[in-house]
Amino acid sequence: MRRTLLIVTCLAALSTLTATLAVAQTKPAAPAPVSEMTAGRRIFDAQCAWCHGNGGDGGTGPNLHGRLRHATSLNSIVDIIVNGIPGTDMPSFRLGLTERSTRQAATYVLSLSRAASRPGAGNAERGAALYQSSGCGSCHVVEGRGGILGPELTAIGSRRGSVYLRESVVTPAASHPPGYLVVRAVPNSGPEVRGIRVNEDVFSILIRDAGGNVHALQKSDLARVDRELEATLMPSYESRLAPAQLDDLVAYLATLRGAK
Amino acid sequence: MKNDGRSARALALPRAFAILVVLMSASLLAQNGQWLMYSGTYSSHRFSPLKQITTDNVSKLRPAWVYQPPGTGSVESTPVVANGIMYVTSGPTMVAALDLKSGKSIWEWTRPIAPSVLNLGFPRVNRGVAILDNMVYVGTLDGYLFALDAKAGIERWSVHVGENPTGHSITAAPLVVGDKVIVGISGGEAGIRGFLDAYDAKTGKPAWRFYTIPSPGEPGSDGWPGDSWVHGGGATWLTGSYDPELKLLYWGTGNPGPDWNGDSRKGDNLYTSSLVAIDIDTGQPRWHFQFTPHDVHDWDANQIPVLVDTQIGGRARQLVVTANRNGFYYALDRKTGEYVLGTQYAKQTWAKGLDEHGRPIEIPGMEPSEKGTLVYPSLQGSTNWASPSYSPVTDMLYVPVREMGSVYYKTGVEYKPGTYYTGGSEKRLDEESWGAVRALDVKTGKQAWDFKLPTPTWAGVMATAGGLVFSGSNEGNFYALDATSGKPLWQFQTGGAIRSGPMSFLAGDKQYVAVAGGHALFVFALE
Repeated sequence: MRRTLLIVTCLAALSTLTATLAVAQTKPAAPAPVSEMTAGRRIFDAQCAWCHGNGGDGGTGPNLHGRLRHATSLNSIVDIIVNGIPGTDMPSFRLGLTERSTRQAATYVLSLSRAASRPGAGNAERGAALYQSSGCGSCHVVEGRGGILGPELTAIGSRRGSVYLRESVVTPAASHPPGYLVVRAVPNSGPEVRGIRVNEDVFSILIRDAGGNVHALQKSDLARVDRELEATLMPSYESRLAPAQLDDLVAYLATLRGAK
Repeated sequence: MKNDGRSARALALPRAFAILVVLMSASLLAQNGQWLMYSGTYSSHRFSPLKQITTDNVSKLRPAWVYQPPGTGSVESTPVVANGIMYVTSGPTMVAALDLKSGKSIWEWTRPIAPSVLNLGFPRVNRGVAILDNMVYVGTLDGYLFALDAKAGIERWSVHVGENPTGHSITAAPLVVGDKVIVGISGGEAGIRGFLDAYDAKTGKPAWRFYTIPSPGEPGSDGWPGDSWVHGGGATWLTGSYDPELKLLYWGTGNPGPDWNGDSRKGDNLYTSSLVAIDIDTGQPRWHFQFTPHDVHDWDANQIPVLVDTQIGGRARQLVVTANRNGFYYALDRKTGEYVLGTQYAKQTWAKGLDEHGRPIEIPGMEPSEKGTLVYPSLQGSTNWASPSYSPVTDMLYVPVREMGSVYYKTGVEYKPGTYYTGGSEKRLDEESWGAVRALDVKTGKQAWDFKLPTPTWAGVMATAGGLVFSGSNEGNFYALDATSGKPLWQFQTGGAIRSGPMSFLAGDKQYVAVAGGHALFVFALE
């Protein structure tokens, strides 16, 4: 549930900070002093990791390793921290951080983006083949193709780090993404409906079942609605794939960084 | 395809359904309580065959639910209802899928629109979607066409229709015909060269493009001196109609560019301010009719063309009728484009009338000038984008009317990409202006009744088989009139200007009526 709350505050940051630093580095800047980096890391852990994950590996907010979508320089990162990113869940920290702290945090984020994504052991090409053969596309969309039961993965690599991705495949229930709460509605009469909660208010609930169909239910017709906090419709692939195959699949997912 | 709103099949759009949309009379489908496209049916009658709500019981109409989209955009959309789900859009570009009975959203999809995205000559709005099979199609303010999964709102494909930095934009609802999505373009005040596009509905692959402005050597190009055609305008910024038997699309075109200074484009300026009948397979024009040759008053002809079968002088006629922005009502043979009749329906001071071919007999000295020229109607016309409605029961066309004059000014003009290319301005006579819902006999264009409004309206009209005509006002009223007499029978204050067209649908076995007002969508049912 804690994750769900994080999600609410940070949701759209999912598609934010990921740009073109690698390209922009024609003239290598002098490395920032270690003390600034350390201070920046401390601020990041307290203020940013909430959404962007520990070490910037991605969470509900984007993975910050590699290309940043919205920033190309220290100053542009500072600008984003101060002003946020309109149209996303990246908030403004204008009131929360001093000018100095902002610069320190930005220095740390810049260092993250310059470090390559944490090297995965897997092979992305083999992972792409596994994605096909394992039937991932029956529930997930990549670049317009695939089923709609699970989250779209077109840009998942820019949003989530390898650690998170691996966990999602091995233990999906540990961290289901926002909007994928599993509920079970038991009517006063008739068969129960189990699936993803699409929408809910005081008197009604919409549930998408495993077949993809949406049921609009009046709560007055229901004996109970159970929230299955630990449940997910996604099966674990831990026993279906060998560890090396899991590495390959994760390596492939990490390459998905938005529609080409 | 009957749906009870709670069915597990609620979102399943079987292939047979798509085929039905293409093959069957769209009005038959509407009788299933759906509203499958922007104007209701291919004929664009915006007529609901539902008749639970009648002149006798409409006084018991009450709000059932209200939907407030995310963001701060205005709602100018006509919802589409297909297979138990409503799809509605909001500005700048947001689509929501709603449960019919509760109004709760199943999904919401937002296209991020930066403040720098241009909307030259129109607000930052979206007016609706098209649907086929399991896809929902929407144009975006920044000039793209998106296909979304109807169940989940996930993007399936997108195409770049027009460059926004040169003023291209999409606010109109697309139209699905067969396996094609047809979409028009805005930008007539930015000096675009207008076009109408068709894409493969499954893949987004381009099928054809019809340019509304001919290039040198093409028919009509003699009305464009020099390189004036390059920025000739002729935007296609509203949704057209379709005749499945003739396989013809009917699409209105906008003003020529520059709007008010015609010096550089002496000639008729085809196909601007025209109705064009386009072959659905090839994208080639089969016929055209120009309402305002060499327009210098911004009198777009984008108003929804209405396909009507009626008797005139004892002869069965297949017509396309339209009340034009220029103050005249026209009936054309929709197979040949032949002019059948035309008559003035609102105040105008620029033409003595229409000749035997329907061409205006212009009064000299009515063009914009440096010191200003007073002309009726105003540049926004005697009617504008708000949809008319035709009732086969009364054989009347119900037109949202704007009674307003303007002083038109002419200035110099130079094309600069991404800026206004208009060559003038206007001063509206706001205080004396007013609006109306006006009932016209389609056989003659003569006024049957007039329901007056305090200001020139932006609200569309819907007639129903229950003997009612629904429309709105800038002042927020949503109201029902007696379709025969124009007498008001019911009203509800929505609290925001109504700039949208009403529609009606069944959820379960119950009739609902929906209209957008301000920043929300209101849905009504009998108490």
